Amino acid sequence: MIELRELTKRYGDRVAVDGLSVRVKPGVVTGFLGPNGSGKSTTMRMILGLDAPDHGEALIGGVRYPDLSWPLKTVGALLDAGAFHPGRSARAHLTALAASNDIPGSRVEQVLRIVGLSDAATRRAGTYSLGMRQRLGVAVALLGDPGVLLLDEPVNGLDPEGIRWIRDLLRALAAEGRTVFVSSHLIAEMALTADRLVVIGRGRLLAETTVAELAAGDDSLEDAFFRLTSGTTDYRGVGAS
Amino acid sequence: MNRYGFRHAARMERIKLSSVRSTWWLAIAAVLSMAAAGAGVGLGYRSHTPVATAAQILNNSLGGAIVAQLLLGALGVLMVTGEYGSGMIRSTLAAVPRRRIVLAAKAAVCGGAALGVGQAASFAGYLSGQLAIRGTAIPAASLGDPAILRAVVLTGVYLGVTALIGVGIGTIVRHSGAAIGTLFGLMFVPMIVAGLFGESGIQVGRFVPLLMLLNSIAVTTPVPGLFNGWISALLMCGYAAVAILSGGVLLRHRDA
Repeated sequence: MIELRELTKRYGDRVAVDGLSVRVKPGVVTGFLGPNGSGKSTTMRMILGLDAPDHGEALIGGVRYPDLSWPLKTVGALLDAGAFHPGRSARAHLTALAASNDIPGSRVEQVLRIVGLSDAATRRAGTYSLGMRQRLGVAVALLGDPGVLLLDEPVNGLDPEGIRWIRDLLRALAAEGRTVFVSSHLIAEMALTADRLVVIGRGRLLAETTVAELAAGDDSLEDAFFRLTSGTTDYRGVGAS
Repeated sequence: MNRYGFRHAARMERIKLSSVRSTWWLAIAAVLSMAAAGAGVGLGYRSHTPVATAAQILNNSLGGAIVAQLLLGALGVLMVTGEYGSGMIRSTLAAVPRRRIVLAAKAAVCGGAALGVGQAASFAGYLSGQLAIRGTAIPAASLGDPAILRAVVLTGVYLGVTALIGVGIGTIVRHSGAAIGTLFGLMFVPMIVAGLFGESGIQVGRFVPLLMLLNSIAVTTPVPGLFNGWISALLMCGYAAVAILSGGVLLRHRDA
């Protein structure tokens, strides 16, 4: 269970996340939707204690992230693909992180198998394709067998097979009773993966709903998303003429 | 054990340090640079008249430390900035959110490794210098002589501490190029400035790392006006402590 209480983050005079209060429940995949720049990644970083909120707090099972006893065994996170040293092998990367939370080496081999990187485990991670990098990021998230998973844009750079793999994996993890919180700006993908949706724009909560509810009033889920988020982006293109 | 701590973080840092090639290249280069300088000095003095003294050979054969300190300083810098450059720092801080533990582990692991490499490099400089003058009239410098042993050991210590200064500067600056530039600047610019003051420059110069290395630490008898080797080495440790503590304060309060 993740609980955000009036979470707020400012960068200079720009408010990135603005009084966001949300509860993310276990047992379902919760999609975190919003246009580019709406504050999804900043929210994720605050949940992980990487960025300090200016106001409010983010709690995991009632505890602030920095106060967790074994962070990786409680929360698994996939941030940007590439949160690794390019010169280090996938196995060394995972072994180092495992050591920090007293996770046995056998678990490293296990997660390598789950994400399909066993045969490439000795290669330097910098030589990986974008899809393999995402898989390594997922391996890190699964390393501590955590009850809470946070994934920031996990399908970025994945091929159709990889996208389906992530989708099935996330749904299976939620079915085991875990809390799964996945950010994306791809509404169509979220419609297939998520049960619940948290939609934000300009750092503010726009809707906390289910996929079915959101789609009910409009022609399509996409229309519903645009209706909800219209006026919350700092950019807008016009049709080419 | 019901919570992660320094021990876990140190194991993580040890695996991280040993699993990138740059660590090994920098360590090998540091030892080779001192060995080469030692051999070069020894060979150069072989046919030199008047016959060189043991102290002359020793002082000069440790001169490779000028290069080795930059290599090991860079090793310390990269231990931190390599993580910022790649985004690895976010994985590290997510695994160990108490940041002072991360920095303490990095300093301990890097300091330990650099001290070992520094000693190996210093002894390599000494030994290759001695080997290169074998069979000449130049008297050998024995490690049984406390002044000789002190110079060799303290040079190794100096090199190890330089890596710690690198860790501190890396934590403060966070960008590899800028941090290595800052480190090199701090090593060379004060020496040039002290030189501008001529004779009275020694009042300032005795606090300058490179001058301490060349005239107090890596020599049998310190140049008059400079601190003795032990005090110079302690001063270096003080600089490292200031750099790392400053880095620690910034690390705690900045967003990663």
